[in-house]
Amino acid sequence: MKKTILFIALVAATGSIFAQKKTTTSGTINFDATTSKDALPKAENKTVIAAIDAKKGTIAFEAIVKNFAFSNPKIQEHFNGATWMDSEKFPTATFKGNITNLAAIDFKKDGTYDAEVAGDLTIHGVTKPVKTTGKITVAGKAVSTSADFSIKLEDYGVNGPAIGAGKVASEPKITVSADMQ
Amino acid sequence: MEAVKSKRTSVLKKVLAVIFLLLVLGGGAIWYIFNEKFSDTTETKADFTVNALDLIHEFEKNDSLSNKKYSEKIVVVNGMVSEVEAADTTVNIKMADTTSGSYIIFAFQQQHLAEAKTIKQGDQVSIKGSCSGGAYSEILETEFITFKRCALNK
Repeated sequence: MKKTILFIALVAATGSIFAQKKTTTSGTINFDATTSKDALPKAENKTVIAAIDAKKGTIAFEAIVKNFAFSNPKIQEHFNGATWMDSEKFPTATFKGNITNLAAIDFKKDGTYDAEVAGDLTIHGVTKPVKTTGKITVAGKAVSTSADFSIKLEDYGVNGPAIGAGKVASEPKITVSADMQ
Repeated sequence: MEAVKSKRTSVLKKVLAVIFLLLVLGGGAIWYIFNEKFSDTTETKADFTVNALDLIHEFEKNDSLSNKKYSEKIVVVNGMVSEVEAADTTVNIKMADTTSGSYIIFAFQQQHLAEAKTIKQGDQVSIKGSCSGGAYSEILETEFITFKRCALNK
């Protein structure tokens, strides 16, 4: 009887370890909209909330737009201004998606896996479906994710004059990474 | 006739000199604006000095009003470190309300990254940084307030 209870407890504990949602509040998003005319429009946000649910295969990110740190005050002001991200009106950027090849990732076995992710990206109050590939690294109880992709700013209603003038890339590169426990 | 012509040339020279001066000054101003870097936060005067839990409660009560008050302002926050969290190659410092789970998170300025690594959970610290405002997290179901370009307030 005691052995049965111990076995059930162990199975339950093991299950809960792998089923639990893993999160971080220190994910990183790098934004690079530099062009040959201007090397300044790039920034980093290191306080991104990220979550992954290994059982459901869901993945989510949430960032405060104003926490993208630029080196130049004027570029940062433009980025948050009404013709760009309008961060007073749209303070957060979010992604909610699913790992579409969940069966290819073994969250119980250490290693790095190719992940295919599809979901909804909301920037500037506009939500669009996106698909990207990334890496998921399992190391014990920790799960790390990383992905690179580009977005078309006009798809999200961002059409500042600097984009037309070629000073800001119309399709900036976004790099996302998060180490979740 | 010669005197009039000479006077016109003199006026034209003065106008051209003024235009040239304006172009140089304008160009210099534009160059300065787009080459300016954020100054070291430790050398910037704070707009507010607050206790961490008071700031969290203020945002929990009304985050749109609090965002108007604190966003892009230099704020000194005094409180106890609840967590030192790995962030890329460095660490972020967190101060949390253990009752609600709401928290403040500080990302340090490049030249102050080393001092962030000296901070430990449970330390009473004073951190100065640029407040980026707060929001309710749908993922964590708590209020979170973010800071950038932070430094220890000595």
